[in-house]
Amino acid sequence: MRSGLILALVRVALMTALQYRASFLLEFFVGVGTTASVVLPLVFVFDHTASVAGWSLHASLLVAAFFLVLQAMVGGLVEPNLGALVEGVRSGQLDYLLLKPPDAQFVASFQRVAPARLWDLLGGAIVGAYALSALPTPTAAGVVTAALLLFAGLAAVYGLWVLVICTSFWFVRVDNLRYLLGAVVDAGRWPVSIYTGWVRIFLTMVVPVALVTSYPALALLGRLDTGLAVQAVVVAVGMLVVSRVAWVQALRQYTSASS
Amino acid sequence: MIAAARAFPTLLRIAVAEMVAYRAEMVIWILTATLPLVMLALWNAASAGGPLDGFGQADFARYFAVTLLVRQLTGVWVLWELNQQIRTGALSPQLLRPMNPLWWQFAETIAAIPWRLLVLGPVLAGVALWRPEIVFVPTLAAAAGFAVSLVLALLVAWFVQCLFGILAFWFDQSLGLFQVWFFVWALLSGYVVPLPLLPTSVAAVATYLPFHASLGAPVEVLLGFAPVGPTLAIQAAWVAVLGAATYLTWNAGLRRYGAVGA
Repeated sequence: MRSGLILALVRVALMTALQYRASFLLEFFVGVGTTASVVLPLVFVFDHTASVAGWSLHASLLVAAFFLVLQAMVGGLVEPNLGALVEGVRSGQLDYLLLKPPDAQFVASFQRVAPARLWDLLGGAIVGAYALSALPTPTAAGVVTAALLLFAGLAAVYGLWVLVICTSFWFVRVDNLRYLLGAVVDAGRWPVSIYTGWVRIFLTMVVPVALVTSYPALALLGRLDTGLAVQAVVVAVGMLVVSRVAWVQALRQYTSASS
Repeated sequence: MIAAARAFPTLLRIAVAEMVAYRAEMVIWILTATLPLVMLALWNAASAGGPLDGFGQADFARYFAVTLLVRQLTGVWVLWELNQQIRTGALSPQLLRPMNPLWWQFAETIAAIPWRLLVLGPVLAGVALWRPEIVFVPTLAAAAGFAVSLVLALLVAWFVQCLFGILAFWFDQSLGLFQVWFFVWALLSGYVVPLPLLPTSVAAVATYLPFHASLGAPVEVLLGFAPVGPTLAIQAAWVAVLGAATYLTWNAGLRRYGAVGA
């Protein structure tokens, strides 16, 4: 029933988005530009050195590929929905959503899609395939772990976004914070081991982008130890639980726009 | 023009008051432009084993700290304002005033600069705390060249955004076009890679392009690895060309403008 509901929601969201298809060609170029802007700096850096913090060019490209997948998910699904939610809190439109029988957080998370971001997904797939072609073939266990970590990481990032958005129930204007969050996510495009000290801890525990980008890449390379994998799952589950609690608290606080 | 010059101090005062009203948003917008720090982290790790083409870890830290500063001081958002005003028709009441609305936009850009410095101060202090060796006192000549180059860079960035904004008179996807421009800009301006570290042939061409004129030029003048005279000349040429283009397209666009609701 849940999966049927997701399909229906995404279908309606897609139909809404596809009303504005005139910019298709332009969005393709923006997609190419996004991929190039993640890949080319790495190419320039590795033009001068063979290894950065123990990562080769191809291993770093694998991280970049996962970063593009993250960008596609955040820009294509998380950001449009939570942006609409903030607008709903401000205008009182959220009332209509709360009146529907399914869980409001669930519906609010799948109402909108930005299909243009599929280009990032395609870019990520191409970069990832190219990187893997030059690396030793990953083991089956590595692939499964990578998929699991990617999923856990995406869930953690989603939870974080919900957490930030929940603050808009109290302070309507802080929704700008999510742009700041977007800027922090940018740091996930490189292997996390290039960062030192508290920045690295920040990127794995607080804004856990490294879980989405570096850890799955490490799993594919066969360099991830079990401790890190467990830690990733713990962070993801923790983030989801905290965000759910915040959401419930926030709804209790919600008084609609006119009351 | 004379009327606008006389009104400019007043415009500036209003713009500063507006910045104060939206200070929280301002801080957040300023802090979102931190890509130079992300790039610094990568180059820092890459040069841990020794300098790359003469760039050591301290050089990278200094380069990207100055880049962050220049990026903020030449920060412009007139494109988004123009785009929104032209699409919604909010431009119409502004056209009733006895001067070009771009003057008001320019006053807003200038008024943001003190805020940018205020927010950036702690960030730069953090970088300096991490690598104290980046602190340096420029020669008087380098400082003077930097000041001129910075103003020219701001004007290049400003006119480029005006041109993309003016496109909205004809075409409603100008924001997307600017995004494509931004990707090329980031690679060729020195924003993510210092120009001397680009492949030689690419760097040779990039020196003459408007991307470099709007960011890399002042950075390199201050750090002393670009010749001051030629760099300023290239920048001045771009200001003249882009300024003339802005003037002409603005007038042509106004003739085409059909305000919403009119």
